Amino acid sequence: MYDTENLIKRLLSSETKGDLLTLFHRNPGLIDTMEGIALRIGKRGDAIEAEVRDLADLGMLRISKLGDYEVVSLDVKRDMEIQHAITKYLESKSRGREV
Amino acid sequence: MARLRTGIPGLDEMLMGGFMEGDAVLVAGNAGTGKTTFGLQYLVNGIVQYGENGVLITFEQLPDQIYRDAMTFGWDLRKLEEENKIRIILTSPPVLMKMIEASMFDELIRDVSPRRIVIDSISHLETYVSPSELRKEVYRLLMYFKSKGLSSLLTWEVANLMNSGSPTEGVSINFLVDAIILLKLVEIESSMRRALLVLKMRGSDHDKTLREYLITSQGIKLSSPFAGYEGIITGTPRSTRLTEDSLREWAKAFGRKG
Repeated sequence: MYDTENLIKRLLSSETKGDLLTLFHRNPGLIDTMEGIALRIGKRGDAIEAEVRDLADLGMLRISKLGDYEVVSLDVKRDMEIQHAITKYLESKSRGREV
Repeated sequence: MARLRTGIPGLDEMLMGGFMEGDAVLVAGNAGTGKTTFGLQYLVNGIVQYGENGVLITFEQLPDQIYRDAMTFGWDLRKLEEENKIRIILTSPPVLMKMIEASMFDELIRDVSPRRIVIDSISHLETYVSPSELRKEVYRLLMYFKSKGLSSLLTWEVANLMNSGSPTEGVSINFLVDAIILLKLVEIESSMRRALLVLKMRGSDHDKTLREYLITSQGIKLSSPFAGYEGIITGTPRSTRLTEDSLREWAKAFGRKG
């Protein structure tokens, strides 16, 4: 189980993470190197590396080794699970407010 | 030999029924000629009309943009992707080559069971490899697809927009592909029109006429052959018809002589 509140805080902890999540959700078939991913949001590889690794640690992104390349892609199944957990959390929060 | 119909109105008749199954096809043309639309239409028709799943590999255009552009033709790629009939991959050429080497692409093939694959565009390989390596890498790619029973369609962007000469000049992969479709913008009587030519089709007869095509709200549609012009492919179209003015000039000159 996730600590959903902590998870949301980590997901929203930087603008770059937001950019990365938007990029992968709009383009779920994206698979590229750190530099290639960075290029698609107008940044450089070293500027996104820490955020990519944190999102991979949360399970939303997957980092795979392809020979001497490290490629990043969306873990679609895990991403769905996390989205589901967040939706449930937000629903319970709004129910709490209503009461 | 089985044929793979494109479903593009007018084209399958030119191809004597469609591309040969398992063949590699190059669609070459300038920017704005509709190469991506051609590739998408080939994939979507494959799924919707002929029950053949497909994969689109794009090196530049974001899938998000592709989904949106496809919708303008009524092609719901997101829905097809949800139904596991198409997969749209955005990557870079070296990663694609590594995916193939590491058998990562095999998983995708097992998952989607595609019959058609489109790469948009193969010109991007040029920025990663030397000209001599380009031919080898494209050959490797095509052989991989053939070994998996996939029919491939590669788009090739011709850099100079209004070039004179053939749009496939300088393309070192002409000999590797089985068929070449040439798309070209032509200026005729102060308006831009689009011309299609089946330049090559290994092992099959095909219509050799130069055809005008339109990009309609349903996609590409072939129109009538360009009649009454010559020099369209070389970039300097000239009317072969005698105009009223030229006839008058000719009559005047003839009259003077007489």
